[in-house]
Amino acid sequence: MGEDFNTDSMLDMFLYESEQLLETLENVVLEKKDEDCFDEASINEIFRAMHTIKGSSGIMMYENITKVSHKLEDVFYYLRESHPENVPHLELVDHVLEVSDFINGELDKIREGETPDGDESKIVDEIDKFLTRIKTGIEKKGDELPPENTYVEPEQFYIAPTGSESSKYYKISIYWRSDTQMCNIRAYTAVYSIKEIVEDMQYIPEDIITNEASSEVILAEGFHMLVKCQATEEELISTIGETSGMDHVEINDCTKQEFEMGFHHQEDAHIVIDLDEKEKASEEKKEKKEPTPGDYVIKNKESGKSKKLAKNQPKQQPKQTYISVNVEKLDSLMDMIGELVISEAVVLQNPDLKVPGLDLTNFQKAAGQLSKITTELQDVIMSMRMMSLTNTFQKMNRIVFDVSRKLGKDIELEVIGENTEVDKNIIEHISDPLMHLIRNSVDHGIESKEDRIAAGKDPKGKITLEAKNEGGKVYIIVRDDGKGLNKQALYEKAKNNGLIGNRAMSEFTEKEIYQFITYAGFSTKEQVTEYSGRGVGMDVVVKNIQSVGGNLEIDSMEGAGSEMTLKIPLTLAIINGIVMQVGNSTFVIETNAVKEFVRIRRDMLVKEPDGEEYIMLRNECYPFIRLNQRYHLEESKTDIEDGIVVVLEHESKFICVFIDELIAEQEIVVKPIPSYIRKVQGLSGCTQLGDGSIALILDIAGLIAGEERK
Amino acid sequence: MSEELLEEFEDEQDTQKGMFMTFQMGEECYGIAVTFVQEIVGIQPITAVPEIEDYIKGLINIRGKIIPVIDVRVRFKQEPFEYTDRTCIIVINVKSTIIGLIVDKIAGVITVDEREIILPPSLSQSGSVSSKYVFGLAKVDDEVKLLLDPERLIRDEDIAAFGEAVPSTEVSAEA
Repeated sequence: MGEDFNTDSMLDMFLYESEQLLETLENVVLEKKDEDCFDEASINEIFRAMHTIKGSSGIMMYENITKVSHKLEDVFYYLRESHPENVPHLELVDHVLEVSDFINGELDKIREGETPDGDESKIVDEIDKFLTRIKTGIEKKGDELPPENTYVEPEQFYIAPTGSESSKYYKISIYWRSDTQMCNIRAYTAVYSIKEIVEDMQYIPEDIITNEASSEVILAEGFHMLVKCQATEEELISTIGETSGMDHVEINDCTKQEFEMGFHHQEDAHIVIDLDEKEKASEEKKEKKEPTPGDYVIKNKESGKSKKLAKNQPKQQPKQTYISVNVEKLDSLMDMIGELVISEAVVLQNPDLKVPGLDLTNFQKAAGQLSKITTELQDVIMSMRMMSLTNTFQKMNRIVFDVSRKLGKDIELEVIGENTEVDKNIIEHISDPLMHLIRNSVDHGIESKEDRIAAGKDPKGKITLEAKNEGGKVYIIVRDDGKGLNKQALYEKAKNNGLIGNRAMSEFTEKEIYQFITYAGFSTKEQVTEYSGRGVGMDVVVKNIQSVGGNLEIDSMEGAGSEMTLKIPLTLAIINGIVMQVGNSTFVIETNAVKEFVRIRRDMLVKEPDGEEYIMLRNECYPFIRLNQRYHLEESKTDIEDGIVVVLEHESKFICVFIDELIAEQEIVVKPIPSYIRKVQGLSGCTQLGDGSIALILDIAGLIAGEERK
Repeated sequence: MSEELLEEFEDEQDTQKGMFMTFQMGEECYGIAVTFVQEIVGIQPITAVPEIEDYIKGLINIRGKIIPVIDVRVRFKQEPFEYTDRTCIIVINVKSTIIGLIVDKIAGVITVDEREIILPPSLSQSGSVSSKYVFGLAKVDDEVKLLLDPERLIRDEDIAAFGEAVPSTEVSAEA
């Protein structure tokens, strides 16, 4: 209809909407996957989602998406209308997920700027067969079958004036005087002017613009229109009446049926302007239903229902209260706010203000207001970066479902604490590792049904995915009640693979042995399956987790299951730190790692002949490092009684660090040390302090590791 | 002074070809293509980072960005010098690596015709350390400027695994 669409923004909209719909769809499906059938609400939900996707993909001309979603819509239309029993539920779930995957794949292609060229025919065929199967199951009950939703011709979508039930239908015929030139153009003018007030119309001849010969036809036979509108006859006449050269206009009432039949009985071709697709679709259904004899009353009721549904649709679409923002923009906003805070300090502590006798009352008031705003700004940007783990966990749901079904295992996934919030950057980094852990649990952890029964366990396996917030860290725990890890097997495997040299098994603690599976090139699974066991998994998992400052703990009980605990920092960006001074350098230690500060007397210091020092504190011996010696810092205190000793804890290992003095505790924005400088052990980053100077952040794990290596 | 120069550069983004920012280091005058130069700041407090190469003096904070700084004199294995008010930090951006160069003082900007750049004599390869960072010589007003290749300047040739493979031209020059 010549309407120029702004395809860019429409495309964005389409992608966004479809994505949202598919997400809801998947959630609904996975929620109900363990039940015997979908309840009415979910059927409606899925039907609606598919219907909308069908419609919008049709507008965007993505035919394969339209076809697939249409097919699935058919299935759910059938389910909704006929409430068939004995539908193979799992198979249906599979089909829905398959469709959702297909569409997702196509959406990805579209997003990449490629053409969505996936082949839909296989899926459509399968669903077709499935639909036939569930239909034949019910056919013996008579012709209770609802008419098929057969409106498959490539649908045309137009932006139509809204239609309503009170519309009237007219047949308008216009005749021109025989000497009139260019009747086709005149007819078009009539069409054009009438378009403003009608809801829907058709006319013949339909090629009035393109075909000049149509002028002759109009002269001879007149120009006929079928319109649907709210307007009265008079209004129509006055609207058309302005066309010159007109001989006379005939307006006749006609029925809806006549209107819908269009000019079919007169001529094959007809064109449709301004057609409300939904209206027509539902009317077509209705039309087909009405003449069918032996229909049950229930059907009429239901066709009414479908109309109601169409009307409700806009209301039920989730409101878009979210916009997606490029993380880079967030990062740069955060940088700017950091700079703002520093410039604020520069202004408020400006030496010019220290001139004696200045009246600063107003200045201080304004300054107070400014500080308040900057603090709030900081809070807001931090909270913007926090995201709940819900989405990440939902993905895991899907993985458990897919993998367990393919492996023929029956596994339930329990999710606890999915609302825990974590910095967006961290979520991106843990999604893959988590997926891997879950796959491992499903594949290696949980035994096959037979084995479970033989072991006297519930044949249904259980995986628990739990997130919690503890001590400034987020714990994500993947727990299964499978067969657990076999220490002996792990040890032998590690030894055979040359990962641990020739050390005896007794030299390792249990946890150390479990850690073997995180070594590169280690896989205990004899047979590599599709999902895991390539031996490139766990070391990558650990690397990923470490890159965000987290770690992986493994615990297991043979025969009872294993537990993988990811400990990750809440946020990468801001930590509570204690600022301290050693010589001319400033260091920061994460507050959570600090156990205590102590003043040490000389007699508490134990010195070994090789120069190594220990501290005896309350009858416990702690390793001790002097930061000034470790990092060769000059002009710092050397007498142990002048400075302060900080006791640090990391994963139940302790270390004492000698520093000159404490400065303050404050929130610091962690920045990486520029990659140009090679990694220094014991330093994890840097930060800028209020006065603009830079402090280095100590990495406790690194310090301890450095000490142990000695 | 430095700010004026900077503004000048920004206006002449298109005509930066053949322009070199020159700076004094002891007796010599060095040049670096202005396209690499991001800004010039006065000397400021430097936070030392332990256990790194001696020529990397540490980190500075430029409006919230933390940037490592190199003492070019130490890099050339010359005598270290006292930092004064005239000491400047030239912030350069080489393939997205942002690094500050500590230099004695800024001399100015010169324009050198590409054809007038003389390759350093092959003799110097075994000579002074700085020559391996110099890709050419330019004579301006009877004074010879040593034109530096910033990429070689910041790249640590001692660490083989550093960054991507060394360009073949560099290999042959150093062979």
